[in-house]
Amino acid sequence: MTAHVPVRIAVLSFAHTHALSYVQALKQMPGVDLIAADWKPDAVVIAAENSRHRSLVERAAAAGVHVLCEKPLATTIEDAVAMHDACEQSGVILMVAYPVRFAPSVRDAIAELRSGRLGKILGVTGVNNGKLPQDRAWFTDPELAGGGALVDHVVHCADLLDELLGERAQSVRAVSNGILHSHRELEVETGGLVTIRYPSGVIATIDCSWSWPMSSATWGGLTLQIVAERGTLTVSPFAKGVSGHDAQGETWMPVGADLDALLLDEFVRAVREGRQSQPDAAVGIRTVEIVKAAQASAALHGEVVALR
Amino acid sequence: MSTLKVGLIGAGGISRVHADAWRALGAQGYVTSLAGAAEIADAYGFTLVEDVDTLLGLVDIVDIVTPSSTHADFALRAIARGLDVICEKPLAATAEAAAAVARAAEEAGVRLFPAHVVRYMGEYAAIKAHVEAGRIGTLAVQRFSRTGSAPQTPWFFSESTGGGVIRDLMIHDIDQAVWFAGPVATVYAVQNPPTIDDRVPAPVTSHVVLTHRNGVISHIHGSWGAPGMPFRTSVEVAGSEGRLRYDSAEDHTTRTDALLLEGGVTDYLPPMSPQESPYYAEIADFVASLREGRDARVSPADGIEAVAVAEAAYASIAVGAPVELTVPGRSVAEIQEAVR
Repeated sequence: MTAHVPVRIAVLSFAHTHALSYVQALKQMPGVDLIAADWKPDAVVIAAENSRHRSLVERAAAAGVHVLCEKPLATTIEDAVAMHDACEQSGVILMVAYPVRFAPSVRDAIAELRSGRLGKILGVTGVNNGKLPQDRAWFTDPELAGGGALVDHVVHCADLLDELLGERAQSVRAVSNGILHSHRELEVETGGLVTIRYPSGVIATIDCSWSWPMSSATWGGLTLQIVAERGTLTVSPFAKGVSGHDAQGETWMPVGADLDALLLDEFVRAVREGRQSQPDAAVGIRTVEIVKAAQASAALHGEVVALR
Repeated sequence: MSTLKVGLIGAGGISRVHADAWRALGAQGYVTSLAGAAEIADAYGFTLVEDVDTLLGLVDIVDIVTPSSTHADFALRAIARGLDVICEKPLAATAEAAAAVARAAEEAGVRLFPAHVVRYMGEYAAIKAHVEAGRIGTLAVQRFSRTGSAPQTPWFFSESTGGGVIRDLMIHDIDQAVWFAGPVATVYAVQNPPTIDDRVPAPVTSHVVLTHRNGVISHIHGSWGAPGMPFRTSVEVAGSEGRLRYDSAEDHTTRTDALLLEGGVTDYLPPMSPQESPYYAEIADFVASLREGRDARVSPADGIEAVAVAEAAYASIAVGAPVELTVPGRSVAEIQEAVR
């Protein structure tokens, strides 16, 4: 058995519910010491509110500490670029916590498409629907979260499109509304459709709506339907599980790999090996770009926004 | 009650399911077409007729199942002879032409039924019923998808004469989106690969995003795929209190596991029992609405609206921007208010 180089990791902020999942996964990993931030960690996991990521990343970079930052990287492109630059100058890793691309079903789907078996990709429909995130109030705070469903649920599909297509978006067009959960009088959009065009001609639309009622048996799901020249491929990484009923109604027991653990495993390996890991800050910036363009488009009643 | 005499104009792919429904309804059938009419006459016990004018003199109602570019002309000819008309979608190539057909029918005092068959498919009709009953609260976001092999007949690939993946295939879901959520204010559409010199490529994929006047947003995806690709549709409708969905890929009512014959047919269309055939339900509704003097599930206005949205989608692709839908009778202020 190989001895693992010990890595000291601190979790900064528990504002995001994923922090607990990260702690659970890190506790299981051999050679990882979970410590308090002021005990000079080798790396930090940042799970603060979206708009507070930048200051924490900059502090970590200044201290020469590697960073895994919760998605979205930032709520403005300016912040995202500043975080990228700070980490590059300090020579520390900045990885963005997009766990879905680590799902084995997603990896397999991307491999199948890359094999060329289905021909060139023509279009993609990405669906990331779920319940209203309500266990943390800041998720629907426009200041702290940077927006509503257009922020929370566009980025996961945007990350997968980034990995799948390997090109930067050309233009973004979005419409949104606040009909879902309207009785809560939220300040952010709860439903949205974001259409993206890529230089290769590929068209993609993301449905980012918080459209699963609170009575649903699970949090939601994500599906990519990819149309290629010689076939279509549909992948739903959270659809693996056992469904049934109990006295309260429908039940759902997810089955399959722990995606947060796979994400952290890659991060810790990169820290040990001293290399940048994917998805990196550049992916973080490109996905924030899509969110900002979508927000701008929706604010302009659906005008097409070109990425400069 | 005397036996209903129906005249089928056209003998292509869709004519068989219509003919089957007419036979199940006990109608006396006549058929004419430039090609294939003899086979239909033979298979369904219809009388073969030489040409359209002769047919129009023999029947009470015509059922137009020809290539899309000819729908409006045949409809106008039948209306001029005082006949009721069932017309396959799209009602016409343009909203203006569709409106002209509807006006002619109204002036002649005959009925016009645009055949939007998806309204008669059990799952879609059930979603409509639940939405109407308020089961999922106020509608917010809708999603539709429709994919299959590209058609083989050339006219489907000419946008200027009524073809194209949006006007031919996605019009089904455009009609559903409007049926569930009401009139459309804004249309944005993209297509890949693009149509060049009026030739629609195959395979091709397209997305159409609608903003309805009440603020609901709808995404419609349609693809014409490579030969042999299975036909699949899905729908998901979300409202303030819940969501409803159907995906034909998850429909396990019937499953055939079989060895494929070498070079065998891959897009086999099974015969449907009239009890669950949407084509039967559609034609039966049209016939009953005629006899009872009531509205059918699809009105001429629905047929015009679907064509108008498809037309706006092509306009959106052409300009690379969203297009506001102008429906005759709506003021600019009204449209702007709806978009807001």
